[in-house]
Amino acid sequence: MMERQTPRLNCWEVMECGLGPEAAEPCPVSADTASNGTNGGTNGGRLCWAVAGTLSGAEVLAGCAQTTNCLTCDFFNRVKSEEGMSFQLLKLARGISSSRRLHETISQVESLMAIHDRLRSHFDLDATIREITEEARKVTGARRSVVLLVKGKPPALHGEFLLRGKPKKVVIRIDEESASGYAALHDQIMNLRDIYDARQANGAPVFDRSLDRQYRCRTHSFLAVPIHDSEGRVIGVITTANAKKGFFSSDDEWFMKNYATELALAVEKQKFMQQSISALRLASIGDTIAALSHCIKNIAQALRSGSHVVKRALETNQIQDVRVAWEILDRHIERLADLSMDVLVYDPEVRERFKEASLNGVVEHVMGLFREEARARAIQMHFRRGPRVDPAKFNAMGIYRCLVNLISNALDACPLSEGVVTVCTARTGEKEFMVSVTDNGRGMDELTRSAVFELFRTSKPHKGTGLGLSTVAGIVSRHNGRVEIESEIGQGTTFRIVIREDIAVV
Amino acid sequence: MASKAKIMVVEDNLDEAKLIKMVLEGEGYEAVCAFNGKEALERLEGEGPQLIVLDVMMPEMDGFAFCTKLRESPGHKDVPVVFLTGVAKHIQDTRYPLDGVMRADVDDYLEKPVKPEDLLKTIARLLE
Repeated sequence: MMERQTPRLNCWEVMECGLGPEAAEPCPVSADTASNGTNGGTNGGRLCWAVAGTLSGAEVLAGCAQTTNCLTCDFFNRVKSEEGMSFQLLKLARGISSSRRLHETISQVESLMAIHDRLRSHFDLDATIREITEEARKVTGARRSVVLLVKGKPPALHGEFLLRGKPKKVVIRIDEESASGYAALHDQIMNLRDIYDARQANGAPVFDRSLDRQYRCRTHSFLAVPIHDSEGRVIGVITTANAKKGFFSSDDEWFMKNYATELALAVEKQKFMQQSISALRLASIGDTIAALSHCIKNIAQALRSGSHVVKRALETNQIQDVRVAWEILDRHIERLADLSMDVLVYDPEVRERFKEASLNGVVEHVMGLFREEARARAIQMHFRRGPRVDPAKFNAMGIYRCLVNLISNALDACPLSEGVVTVCTARTGEKEFMVSVTDNGRGMDELTRSAVFELFRTSKPHKGTGLGLSTVAGIVSRHNGRVEIESEIGQGTTFRIVIREDIAVV
Repeated sequence: MASKAKIMVVEDNLDEAKLIKMVLEGEGYEAVCAFNGKEALERLEGEGPQLIVLDVMMPEMDGFAFCTKLRESPGHKDVPVVFLTGVAKHIQDTRYPLDGVMRADVDDYLEKPVKPEDLLKTIARLLE
């Protein structure tokens, strides 16, 4: 084994604090025999950041009084660099767990890392605020913690906190009446041992007790850290109150500043996401209104042309023309009714009825609606009727709507020649049945498949409204059922809806 | 004579195409249908229409693309074209922006639903 070439200096040798093991009153680090040998040091000499009272507890470690954050201290970085891959940030493995403070330090660092990871993975601002609030409370050893964000006109600090286990909303004016308002107004960290003590640090005034009276609590120690946006504006305050140890240390301030930064990031991310989503959604809704309008206009065009033809044919006694035009008129009146239903299904007030009916009967009825269109486009339609399906308990109008949408889509997806659409029904359990619609069209890729149920999304720019499949998803979910999709590029698509009869939601 | 002119209806909706064809035939025109721009282009030479009623949103080849090809075709570049479309004038549609409709080299633009009488008047005017 190779010997280490460079001498491993302990913190007291580098910092020259005079509080090494030989001192009359050695620092807790140099007396921490349990850490002896860690990172090649004597006692806690090369693990000082993780020893009781540290992480810059300036009031404890006089020699490190200038250090505000152990993790950015030159000595910390020096040890880290010298040890390389062998560096030990904390000392769990060797069982140095007797120190309560060590545990606290570990949980502090871990909680920051956890929040950072969570921020990377999601953008739910409310959830993030709740998590950060709770972490801040735990890490600072406080009774309660609140994140307040600037909102409204006139701007005020808005937040929510748990009081005796119940969530309470709080709104605080941005003025000098409260410590939070003061921190926001003057963009200043407020670290107060007793919020109502007239002899405060920071030159803060005596604060109003009205908030405590309102929430029937008593605030003692209090720490408020302003939250800044990327342009340095105060967008809120993170606060923590009533430290179990009686005061908030500079470590606590350091952590709270980090939480404030993470909160600012979360707020900015949320704002960005909202802007993007809103822009996308507006574009989608605009397209849908245009598509709906287009669809209705086409129907209206057919009705106008149809009635013109019928009128003229009656005048000239062309009964064959009357018949042809009348059939078309009939179909378009049906299309208009279908479209209205698609829109109506989105109305939460529309209640659906679940009762026993013939599933195969509904399928036959819907297929009948499309038979003429399929014939005109030379598409074959097949129905594979499942045994023991009927009677089934479902909302007949809802399943009718699903089938109209799925069969209509299947016909549109079919190739220009040799198109085939197959509808199957089957009982899949004692209280469960399914109906599937398969086409032999172009199929979908993964991306298209994942977005098909999105409201206002259409893959048929020349005719889709973006309502159809969202309608299907809505109806099926109200049956507590599920929609399954099998699709492969060039191989066609199967939409299968599975309905449970015993747990239908009325 | 206008009533004997041959008109091509390019429309992907079979029912609508059929009805417009019947409206035109009722007025004495000869009418043929194509169900998208691609099919219309292929049949242009054989059919030799004197006017084209053209939808905008169609699969395979839409009305804009067809119109561009038509104007490049030496034998048919002067055939009058009437857009008959549901593309709305006042609604923002990112798929078919209206300025595209307005820029297209067509002779007239009718928004659905058009009264058949108005369509017939427009056709008669363009054929004069």
